Amino acid sequence: MFDSLYIAWKYVRFNKFKSVILVTCITLIALLPLSLELLLNESEKQLMARAKSTPLLVGAKGSALDLAMNSLYFDDEIPELVAMDEVNYVNETQLAMPIPLYVRFKARGYPVVGTTLDYFDYRNLELASGNSLAILGECVLGATVADQLGLKPGDSLISSPENLFDLAGVYPLKMKVAGILQKSNTADDRAVFVDLKTAWIIQGLGHGHKDLKKNKDPTVILKRTDTNVAANAKLDHYNEITRNNLDSFHFHGNLGTYPITGLIAVPLDTKSGTLLRGRYLTRKTSNQILKPTEVIEGLLENIFKIKNLIDSVILFVGSATVLAIILVFALSLRIRQNEILTIFKLGCRRMTIARLMAAEICIIVLTSGFFCGGLVALIDYFADDLVRTLVIR
Amino acid sequence: MIRIRSLEFQYPSGDFRLEVPEFSIEQSEKVAVIGPSGSGKTTLLNLLAGIFTPEKGTIEVGNIGVNRLTEDERRDFRIVNIGFVFQNFELLDYLSVMDNILHPYRITGALRLNKEVCARAAELAQDMGISDKLKQPVNNLSQGEKQRAVICRALLARPKLILADEATGNLDPKNKFRILDLLFRSVEDHNSTLLAVTHDHELLEKFDRIIDFKNFQKDFPRV
Amino acid sequence: MQLTKNKNKKIIYLLGLGLIIYVLGLPSYSFAVKKPTSKLTVFVVNYPLKYFAERIAGEHARVVFPAPKEVDPAFWMPDAETIQKYQRADLILLNGAHYAKWVQRVTLPQFRLVNTSAAFKDRYIRADEMITHTHGSEGEHSHEGILFTTWLDFDLATEHARAIEKALSRKKPELSKVFGANLESLERDLKNLDGEIKLLVSQKPSNLLVASHPVYQYLARRYGLNVVSLLWEPDKIPGDREWNKLRAILRRHPARWMIWEGPANSTSIDKLRSMGVNSLVFYPCANVPEKGDFLDVMRQNIENLKKAFK
Repeated sequence: MFDSLYIAWKYVRFNKFKSVILVTCITLIALLPLSLELLLNESEKQLMARAKSTPLLVGAKGSALDLAMNSLYFDDEIPELVAMDEVNYVNETQLAMPIPLYVRFKARGYPVVGTTLDYFDYRNLELASGNSLAILGECVLGATVADQLGLKPGDSLISSPENLFDLAGVYPLKMKVAGILQKSNTADDRAVFVDLKTAWIIQGLGHGHKDLKKNKDPTVILKRTDTNVAANAKLDHYNEITRNNLDSFHFHGNLGTYPITGLIAVPLDTKSGTLLRGRYLTRKTSNQILKPTEVIEGLLENIFKIKNLIDSVILFVGSATVLAIILVFALSLRIRQNEILTIFKLGCRRMTIARLMAAEICIIVLTSGFFCGGLVALIDYFADDLVRTLVIR
Repeated sequence: MIRIRSLEFQYPSGDFRLEVPEFSIEQSEKVAVIGPSGSGKTTLLNLLAGIFTPEKGTIEVGNIGVNRLTEDERRDFRIVNIGFVFQNFELLDYLSVMDNILHPYRITGALRLNKEVCARAAELAQDMGISDKLKQPVNNLSQGEKQRAVICRALLARPKLILADEATGNLDPKNKFRILDLLFRSVEDHNSTLLAVTHDHELLEKFDRIIDFKNFQKDFPRV
Repeated sequence: MQLTKNKNKKIIYLLGLGLIIYVLGLPSYSFAVKKPTSKLTVFVVNYPLKYFAERIAGEHARVVFPAPKEVDPAFWMPDAETIQKYQRADLILLNGAHYAKWVQRVTLPQFRLVNTSAAFKDRYIRADEMITHTHGSEGEHSHEGILFTTWLDFDLATEHARAIEKALSRKKPELSKVFGANLESLERDLKNLDGEIKLLVSQKPSNLLVASHPVYQYLARRYGLNVVSLLWEPDKIPGDREWNKLRAILRRHPARWMIWEGPANSTSIDKLRSMGVNSLVFYPCANVPEKGDFLDVMRQNIENLKKAFK
């Protein structure tokens, strides 16, 4: 057997091109279903883990999936907005702790998550360096964001305009990095956390400017009466919040009408959760309450249906590949007829040809297995990051 | 060494028939077989090697009745007792020169590859003047060097009988005499018998005996 | 050899004895040592809330009011370290009515925030003579429109106290009876103050007053005081413009008493006197008083007010 392996190994090495192609084909055809299974299992694990850790979500009626994906994974799809008053409503029921979320803006490609300090307590997010959010205009970065952008506490990060010709007032805000979170292996690693009010400032609902009552530039004033000073668009708004101008920052109107994308409701106990859900069923409202686990289970069902389809396709492709490989070996045998005749003339034993072919196939398959195993191990090692980056984001 | 009696052989396709009433070669004889193409020279070699089996008659090689052996026994008999030197060398391009020489030991269980065998292979290569080429791929060798490697392979198992089929057919004039000399010397050194098929009449005087397949039934005088 | 053997035996006996004592002592040790009860940490934004929280929580809470004594807590801005201390508190008691503007500009854990005036939001007083500003399409806005010295209405002060008791009881339900009893005691004291001022003002309901600073609106509304406010500081001498403004006010509102929010400078007092206006101090007590506590200060305020209602 060793002799056959030796000769087969020499043959495989000599015919590098053919061997590499065969190994690649077998590796890929084996890798596809395995890696798909791995990644889907990891996706399921992550999606469900995140969903299980979020008892209830409240948001505008509409796509439950958009609401869940935006609130749990800070997905780009922004659900219909909800008024901040909904947070007050949930708070007043005394049935759950509401944690508002405003996930709409981005900073250098990463989602800006406007929320409250309760979010960090609830998600058990600890600081790796720096401090927690303290004043408006500060941000706390997820571990991946800090790593990718090379930021540390004290640095700055500017929010991105919503679109190229952002004329609606979503000004870039220069935010100061107050702290960096420890890696949590969740969507929180890829988020830029700000106070909810900072998110509203990014939107332009809150701003800071020089005191108009003391303004000396007449070109800024539109109209002045005894009780009101109206300014025109020339009025400069601060795009960075510092200790010096912090006092000038303010919000217009009733904060209860200010928008959020959703809120996490953490019920005090199971009964409270049920009661809260019941209230939303009976209450006349344009908002909905949902259990993220139910939404994600539905999503996973669809994903696995697609997976079954892909598995069938892979099976067909795999079968075709196997047939092609068999053809390659058969043709190879034909090409080696002279060699076979020679060793027959020399006096090889009956099974020698079969052993040589088997050894060659063994080497090819084992090598493919080795590479496939290595790649699967690699994918497994990076599965959580891959899923988070490619699937969940 | 070789005894053939009342041999009758026909190919399955029925397009050629060989009949040999009586034929013998003594130990250590160097015999040349000549004749027109298609006269059965190579068929005789294949019968002696046990590649084909006759319909009738007996073939004895070194007291072994080749025609009485089973298929597997003939394969083992062949690889242990017969050394082949082919016109087209039949070396494997994916093996080195040394691996080609050792090749028979790797394709059968009848021969055991060990350090002694390897040492003997190196000695043979030294005698043939190709010891510096042992690690190279065979495609790097000249025609003459290739045939020397084939001779090494043929002699490695110390066979009783060397069958050479147009061994110098693909060699230039300078090399063919050299190779033949080497072959003769090795055969003498190993006390083997040589039966060589050749078309080259220039080489015939070097042989002990010549068998012409034109008049095969008659005994030919020894040279 | 014998000596060594005896010595070893002694050691073994002692160790064994020690082990027995330890094992026997274990249960009694664990019962003897009580688990310390955890005290709530409560941060507040002004002194009245501190006083109310301390009265209600007693020894069961550590009430912290970190603003320096010399600042007006309504306009104070804590530093980063102090903000972090607020963030770590078990409860953060806010006055509400837009008091402590800094709260809007910092990040605090919402679930531990308690707006102690949420129950009477509909009774907030809006200022009517503030200069607003507008820009863009939002229309007219006033940032100082809601007035915040709610605790000077002792009925509303009671509401503050009730909200504090509710928050504390939610945090420590096992102590709700204690908190409830303490609240009742505080309510009695506040009711007494309420009754005293009502009685005082009823003696001279048409009394006209001016106030050095617009901080007495809730006091005025509750107790029917007829007060016009200025924008003077007790430690600063007003300029001619301010004096002229006062004269104009006095022409239509001939008050005889000026209520100061702190001891006024003598120059102002003398000049006022020359205009026929006397001075008294009604300290709003937003920050920790030099002497005494909230009740002491309010009682002294009522004493001072008596002068105007004689």
